[in-house]
Amino acid sequence: MAIEALSATPPRAPPTPLRLGVWGPQVLAALATFACAAPAAAVMIQALIAPRAGGGDAGRFWIDSVAGTLALMIAGGGVAIALGIAAAWLVAMCRFPGRPIFEWLLVLPLALPVYVLAYAYGGIAGPGGPSPLRVAGPSGAAFVYALGLYPYIYLAARAAFVSQSACVLEAARTLGARPWRAFWAVALPAARPAIVAGAALALMEIAADYGAASYYGATTITTGVFRAWFSRGDPALAMQLAATLLIAAALALAAERRARGRAAYGAARWRALPRYRLPLLAALGAALSCGLLAALGAILPLAWLARSALLAPPGAIAALAPALSHSLMLAIGGGGATLLLSAIVALAARAGGRAGQAALLAAASGYAAPGAVIALGALAIAASLRGLGLIGGLTGAVAIAALIWTYAARFAAAGAQPIEAGLTRITPAISGAAKTLGAGAFRRALAVELPLAAPGAFAAALIVFVEILKELPATLILRPFDFDTLAVKANEYASDDRLIQAAAPSLLIALVGVLPIVLLSRGLSRARAGGP
Amino acid sequence: MIPKTVLRAAMALLAPLALLACNAPTPSVKAAAKGVVNVYSGRHYDADEAIYRDFTAKTGIEVRQLQAPGDELIERMKAEGAASPADVAITADAGGLWRLQQAGLLQPIRSAVLEAAIPARLRDPGGAWFAFSKRSRVIVYQKGGVDPALIQTYDSLAAPALKGKVCARSSTNVYNLSLMAARIARYGPEKALAWAKGVAHNFARDPQGADIDQIRAVAAGECKAALVNHYYLIRMAASPDPSDRATAAKVGLIFPDQNGAGAHVNYSGGGVAAHAQNKANAIALLEYLASPEAQALFPKLNEEFPVVAGVPLTPQLQALGQFKEDDLPLAAMGEHQPQAQALFDRAGWR
Repeated sequence: MAIEALSATPPRAPPTPLRLGVWGPQVLAALATFACAAPAAAVMIQALIAPRAGGGDAGRFWIDSVAGTLALMIAGGGVAIALGIAAAWLVAMCRFPGRPIFEWLLVLPLALPVYVLAYAYGGIAGPGGPSPLRVAGPSGAAFVYALGLYPYIYLAARAAFVSQSACVLEAARTLGARPWRAFWAVALPAARPAIVAGAALALMEIAADYGAASYYGATTITTGVFRAWFSRGDPALAMQLAATLLIAAALALAAERRARGRAAYGAARWRALPRYRLPLLAALGAALSCGLLAALGAILPLAWLARSALLAPPGAIAALAPALSHSLMLAIGGGGATLLLSAIVALAARAGGRAGQAALLAAASGYAAPGAVIALGALAIAASLRGLGLIGGLTGAVAIAALIWTYAARFAAAGAQPIEAGLTRITPAISGAAKTLGAGAFRRALAVELPLAAPGAFAAALIVFVEILKELPATLILRPFDFDTLAVKANEYASDDRLIQAAAPSLLIALVGVLPIVLLSRGLSRARAGGP
Repeated sequence: MIPKTVLRAAMALLAPLALLACNAPTPSVKAAAKGVVNVYSGRHYDADEAIYRDFTAKTGIEVRQLQAPGDELIERMKAEGAASPADVAITADAGGLWRLQQAGLLQPIRSAVLEAAIPARLRDPGGAWFAFSKRSRVIVYQKGGVDPALIQTYDSLAAPALKGKVCARSSTNVYNLSLMAARIARYGPEKALAWAKGVAHNFARDPQGADIDQIRAVAAGECKAALVNHYYLIRMAASPDPSDRATAAKVGLIFPDQNGAGAHVNYSGGGVAAHAQNKANAIALLEYLASPEAQALFPKLNEEFPVVAGVPLTPQLQALGQFKEDDLPLAAMGEHQPQAQALFDRAGWR
């Protein structure tokens, strides 16, 4: 019967679409590169043809801006990385009171945009606030970056620790390694790619942030772009700064890829992980530090926002209904488009080659770019399309389309990363088997690789959803008439110092973001190969 | 594992879509007989919403608006060119009006109503723009923390007596840029730079936060004097938050330079967009903004000063008393803003 079935099936030729099997991925990667890089490229070209404004201190301006961003990356990013790794190790590998609650509680800061954290701490720990400790100046910006962004590293590191081979850890233990040594010598190096990936997201967010940096008066590349372009009327200088950011992001990513090389990480684990049982004092200390982190990162600012929102006039929250629906619409629609682009970038990167590298670098530079720069690029492209008579003004659908493209260009990297991580579940053996059975690249992607990578894609969808929900600068510039989002409303009030009115929309952003983030956290904590 | 979680999330994410279907705005249906006017506005106040609602109620013309920072709106209008849907462009700052005009984004109009209501100094001679509301950049000080006699002028903030006692927000802020631009226009770049250096030298802390944060820092004694717009202090005094009211009670307000050029004032204003498709409605809206009813809403809802004579002030604004204002031409602020930022940067005022 088996023989019959075999003979009934005609010998399988690669699916007919001629050379598409070979060229398809290349073309897709090129398209993805274009989609990610075109807005930034357009704004650069525009700036290059703009006349240079005077001012002999451009060099000084550039150095100050770059130094400011580097300092914030080192201080804010460094603390975020340390906090993220420590929290992930405790939650993934140790037993202590409250651990199951902290597992998701520690993710919550991700639901709060860092500019909202900045405003909240402006009230809590600014002059006249209830906190005896002051959060102020550039170190205040570093403080909110550390608290707001450590969950990127926490999530990535926790997933990596959870999916590590128990056998390797047990071998370490058998060889007499204490937990500390097992952590430093075995677990941490094995989790390095995941941690680097999470850290890259956090660092790029710091580089591209405008809200918190400008609130705390920090001099950064992104605030410098605004200062040069709008205040000094010098778009060329602004673009030199933006270009610095884009090129640095691309170089950093390339360096990381090279360092990682072809080493295979993350042997799949097939059985539950034995958690270290901490001695009483250590267990209490772990619970306390996790509690403090969750309190500072999410609970305290949320409570402050809730208090302020309650002081707002009645009806203020009901009046936010249209903004809420617009936010959800953009986060879902824009999220879908971004996810698609992310998937293409991730698949292209996995396929390797120049095209894949280019797509990945383009996506990374989009993520590191200030949102306003990408939005101005989209404006420039819209202007050329209008010049060709292809579109009219930025109204209705055209404005939404421009906005969604901007989201995709901006956040493709954030989505591509979990998708790529998911793709690593597809071992060469599995792909090889599919190949042997005659499946072309497209068919392998659709029938084998995508289903295996679905959990990664799901994580990507959630991250992208929340990112768009929080996005401000591009939404401000590109949205159509009478189309306010929660972030726009929050900014509208906050920029006029009406912090009580700004609290309700900020709180709503956090509340809408909490569900996807908790789902994300749950999905990742179950990401064991042999899990249910 | 996948299907269940994915399903659950999909449901959670899709539920709002159903809500959207019922909630989707349908402006084109409402905008029937009298048509619409499309407003690009760099102002972002609830007061404006109330004024537009009033306008629609009186005229039947629907107001569609896009609020964003002024400079971003200018970039958007440039990119949109002749296809721009904007009929009216409004900025929160006089410098913005100048930039709109320089970029060719406004068209001159003639309106007997506007020319009669708005003083000649507060409108473009060619009719490209008109100012509608006024704010003053004042000095606030900690009551009991510093002798008010020492801080009666902008120059006094740069005096050695105030070393380590002055707070300011970032120089990027357009209110500070306009103040500096006015000083450049009045005293020349060298003196303006020396002033900025002096103030920066007196900073109690690096510039941070917005105007309200400066008031809080003054009330808390972290500094003794700061530069803010007048209405922030009035608003804090009337805040629903008791701690805001307590803060405001500790702070006094001074209109500077009363024996000199007068306190610096800045204006919100607007004009008809160069490619307006609803020009008649655009003019109608501008004329409404200059009407006594609308002018009364600027003080009532936002504690800004009206530009039309005879419009009643709020008791809070009246309590500030009459003050002498600097009567520089409005265009001076726009013209000198880029230089103002460059000089601020050189002075170390971040």
